Amino acid sequence: MPQILFAAGRRFAAWPCKRLAICFLALALPAAAGAQRSTPVLHSANEDLSPHPSEQRSLAGDPETAGTPVVLDAMTTELHRAFTSLGKAAAATDEKQVPPYFLSYTVSDASFVAIRAQYGALVDSSANRVRVADVQVRLGDPKLDNTHGTHRGSAVNSQELPLTDDREALGRSLWLATNTGYGTALDNYLRVKTEAQVRAKEEDTSPDFSEEAPQTYIGKPAPAVAVDRTAWERRVRELSKIFREYPDVYQNMVMLTVQNETDYFTSSEGSRVVTPHLQARLMVYAVTRADDGMDLFRARTFEAETVEGLPRQAELEAAARELGKSLEALRKASVTEPFDGPAILSGRAAAVFFHEVLGHRLEGQRQRGDEEGQTFTKEVGKEVLPAFLSVADDPTLTNFGKTWLSGSYEYDDEGQKARRVDLIDDGVLKTFLMSRLPIASFATSNGHGRAQTGKLPTGRQGNLIVTSTRTEPETELRKQLIEEAKKQGKAYGLYFEDISSGFAVTTRSSPQAFQVIPLVVWRVYVDGRPDELVRGVSIVGTPLAAMKRILATGDKSEVFNGECGAESGTIPVSAVAPAMLLSEMETQKQAQGTARPPILPIPGADIAAPEKKEAK
Amino acid sequence: MNPIHSIARIAGAGLMVACLCVPSLSAAQQTRADAEKDPLLKAMLEELDRSMSQLQLKGFEKPFFIQYRIEDVDNYETKAEFGASEGSQHNHQRVARITVRVGDYKTDSSGGRGDGSLQLAALDDDPIAVRSALWTATDTAYKSALAAYAQKQAELKQVQTPPQADDFSKEKAVILLAEPMKLKLDEPVWVERVAKASGLYRTDAQVKASQHDVQYSTAEFHARVTTTWLVTSEGTIVRKPAAEYQEAIGVGTQAADGMRLDRSYASTGNSLNDLDAPEAFEKHAVGLIASLTDLRKAPLVDEEYHGPLLLSSDAGADTLRALLASGVTGTRPKLGTEARTNGPFASSYHARVLPDFLDVVDDPGLKSFDGKGLVGTYAVDDEGVPAQAVKLVTEGKLENYLIGREPVRDFPQSNGHGRAGITGAPRPSIGVLKVTAKDGLTDEELNRKLLDLGKDRGLKRVYFVETLGGELTPRLLYRVSPDGKRELVRGAELDDLDQRALRSSVEAAGKDLWVTNYFGDVPVTVLAPALLLQDATVKRANEKNEKLPFYPPPE
Repeated sequence: MPQILFAAGRRFAAWPCKRLAICFLALALPAAAGAQRSTPVLHSANEDLSPHPSEQRSLAGDPETAGTPVVLDAMTTELHRAFTSLGKAAAATDEKQVPPYFLSYTVSDASFVAIRAQYGALVDSSANRVRVADVQVRLGDPKLDNTHGTHRGSAVNSQELPLTDDREALGRSLWLATNTGYGTALDNYLRVKTEAQVRAKEEDTSPDFSEEAPQTYIGKPAPAVAVDRTAWERRVRELSKIFREYPDVYQNMVMLTVQNETDYFTSSEGSRVVTPHLQARLMVYAVTRADDGMDLFRARTFEAETVEGLPRQAELEAAARELGKSLEALRKASVTEPFDGPAILSGRAAAVFFHEVLGHRLEGQRQRGDEEGQTFTKEVGKEVLPAFLSVADDPTLTNFGKTWLSGSYEYDDEGQKARRVDLIDDGVLKTFLMSRLPIASFATSNGHGRAQTGKLPTGRQGNLIVTSTRTEPETELRKQLIEEAKKQGKAYGLYFEDISSGFAVTTRSSPQAFQVIPLVVWRVYVDGRPDELVRGVSIVGTPLAAMKRILATGDKSEVFNGECGAESGTIPVSAVAPAMLLSEMETQKQAQGTARPPILPIPGADIAAPEKKEAK
Repeated sequence: MNPIHSIARIAGAGLMVACLCVPSLSAAQQTRADAEKDPLLKAMLEELDRSMSQLQLKGFEKPFFIQYRIEDVDNYETKAEFGASEGSQHNHQRVARITVRVGDYKTDSSGGRGDGSLQLAALDDDPIAVRSALWTATDTAYKSALAAYAQKQAELKQVQTPPQADDFSKEKAVILLAEPMKLKLDEPVWVERVAKASGLYRTDAQVKASQHDVQYSTAEFHARVTTTWLVTSEGTIVRKPAAEYQEAIGVGTQAADGMRLDRSYASTGNSLNDLDAPEAFEKHAVGLIASLTDLRKAPLVDEEYHGPLLLSSDAGADTLRALLASGVTGTRPKLGTEARTNGPFASSYHARVLPDFLDVVDDPGLKSFDGKGLVGTYAVDDEGVPAQAVKLVTEGKLENYLIGREPVRDFPQSNGHGRAGITGAPRPSIGVLKVTAKDGLTDEELNRKLLDLGKDRGLKRVYFVETLGGELTPRLLYRVSPDGKRELVRGAELDDLDQRALRSSVEAAGKDLWVTNYFGDVPVTVLAPALLLQDATVKRANEKNEKLPFYPPPE
């Protein structure tokens, strides 16, 4: 049945073009959650929530498959049969059929629970389990195959798989998917070959697929989602009800999503990998509108490996109240003026900023292809950031301090072992985030090939971590901001407390610009006046320049957990960074809506008023 | 894969007597006070009253009409492929649809697309949450209505010919409160049933020898119970439940030349009792799988054939639905024209659209036929207007249209056919469409007549369609020789099967009616006879023949 999604969610559904790298890091709105691995349709099926019998049974010790889940076994068997049959049986009758040189099956087996409330009442509570296979077929050879250039998508075909361990049904479904996938790959391979003959030499003549050593790792399959639905329904409902204390918050949503997933990978190179991925996320989202029609929203998300790791209810309630108060303050805040001067990004804001502005441009595939911006392609070994800054991406980290990192994984979606990659050392660019798509300067994967189910993996971020050797306590940073503003003859500097969803465009036809949406911005006056909240700020400018203007950083790092969308789909990521002082940040007033605030007061506003006073 | 087509066979199937789940509306006069005992209706009425009395943007008109509709949709689906479950979904949501009209009945803000706004509504009846969802959607709908009204005023100034009818009909307020229904299912049983059905290709003794030829075999079960609450500023208050259930199977293969061959079967009804018993369903499924083997062996249809064609009553139902259903609805024509409505019968009022021995009525009040529950039945439509039986075609002439609350020329009132899909805007639609023939023939008489027509034309063969797939493409088509012998052929499409053929080519019709329940957002039922066309075209479809599997399926 149709589901109503927030308007903000629509952007996910409407990616204009495959080659645009559009990343929405900040919010995990329903659509985002729904677009994660395995395209979950959320609903309940009690019998499907029992522990996956496959893993249980097989781990119990069938001598032939000891320690191997049945599904992995069935995958391996069918993969072998397909790899040794395709393009061979038919060779006599059809010379156009070529055998694949690479075949892989990735199966994501995921169970979900989603609970959602708005206006203080439950609107959805559902659970589901789904198994999806991605079949990857590569024809030709690693130098030139069916994935070349714009044909990348042609390697992957997806098919839903049985949830039970019926080998016959599993094999038959995989056969169906492989057969279709092979047909698509074949068609694309023939076109790739023709195109290769008629076009001029490409800028980057790297092969289409890197050589890697096979991997074997049989991890423990994820347990079924264990959530006390009734208790969490109550908690989610109560959190949403808090917004009744803030009658100017016109819309709110609180959503819990819990996802336990096991990924099975097998390939014709001999890899066999089983890894679990667990994630619980609670999101609080609230919206208001200023009298002049400007829409304002705030969101907070809390992530942990399981629901037990989420904050206690009191802490969540405090966070919801903080959003409510913040929105009521924001709708009365004065509208920003265009500004070009010093600014501080809070740790959280800096984390989003680095993910968007830097992280996406360090993805390997962005250095290759005529359509890509290639901002950093020729910058390896050169200083791209101030020397006191270093940037790494480390998916092997599961926590930063006490905070769980949602971009963690053990093996990437190409079956490669996750590893820490030092992207920028002391300001100098060292390498890129590599999948198995080689580029001129780097021939192999560094374990960052990631994708949503149904997509071909590309180089993506996991946990992006920014570190600094020039740190100051944040009070000191604030003093420096005022100093810098004075030096530049400005009445104030800006403090970006919270930044949301942005996008980075890195293609050549678009300007090399980034845009993130600042949600909470303060003017810090040089004359000692109290800080003033402003609304409608949007950042403009060029990314490289902005990053080179970092003067110092704070001494504490903050974590941002979120969902990131790009060509290879929506994946969970984290970014960690300290607060940063920039000598220059250019801002303008955002385009604002013209719709009026609601005409009548929200129902129950009369009841809410006294409570609100009390809360203050 | 082809969409599974919903067909409920009744003829001679010896089905159990249907338990009707469309509850009768209480006979006693119900009042607003009765309605307010329902906390959801109470909250809806409270917010409706507040909006009607207070909602106004300075300098603009107040709404003259507001409708709140909340649908509680409890939806369960489970599917399986190759004999194993792929999982189930059970969703339960409430969606509010708000319609606000400004202006007046003659000229209002309504446009062509169904105005209104949507919000998810509270699953519990929390009044503040329910009202908050209604409040925000009402605010949005009112502002859009103001903009639409201004736009319409401007458009009216652009045309010389005034609108042919009012924008909105005045209807008597009704209060009808039926008890809500709950979706009660033994879910694991259905998981098991569809898993078993989807595996018959490899487990059933009759067909498993050809299991390697079956390229897909899927089965699914779908159950949906909807309760609708509807209140209008005119005083209408309605609470009504509806249910539909379907078990379906689809199988497919390719012929040696690569031609895709698909078969599907569904058992559909408004109660679980209406569905086939497991044995009956499996029997159908096995027949379907066996037919793939027959189809693989069947010869290609002739390149082109012109002559008599007999459509079974099953095929007749699909044909009549496709050719009549959208044409008999009255919808607002383009502004500035003198048209009455849209579609193939826009100018056919009082004109002949069928042979004079055929009558058509749409009667949503018909709850069952031959003991079979009809999914298209309802007591009151989605605009709160009680359903009426409408005689659409009498002795072949179109004498009526199905009308909702947006009138068309000569039809100023709704006849209770404003129906809405889940979350959708109401539009006129059929409910239970019944096509009957005066002096209808038995199957035997029809067959004889088919052969006679062939002989008269000196044809060596004629054709018979047993079932149709999507887009009126034959799934089972037989070539019939003058001695009456039938031979299955494949790869055909029907040409010229259009409204003109219905009007001038139908030579005779059957006396028995086939019941087809169409599962969907707006469930409908068609009761139809077999149709004998004196001149039809059957020809090769010449679809692209895809490659055969690149490698064989696993043993």
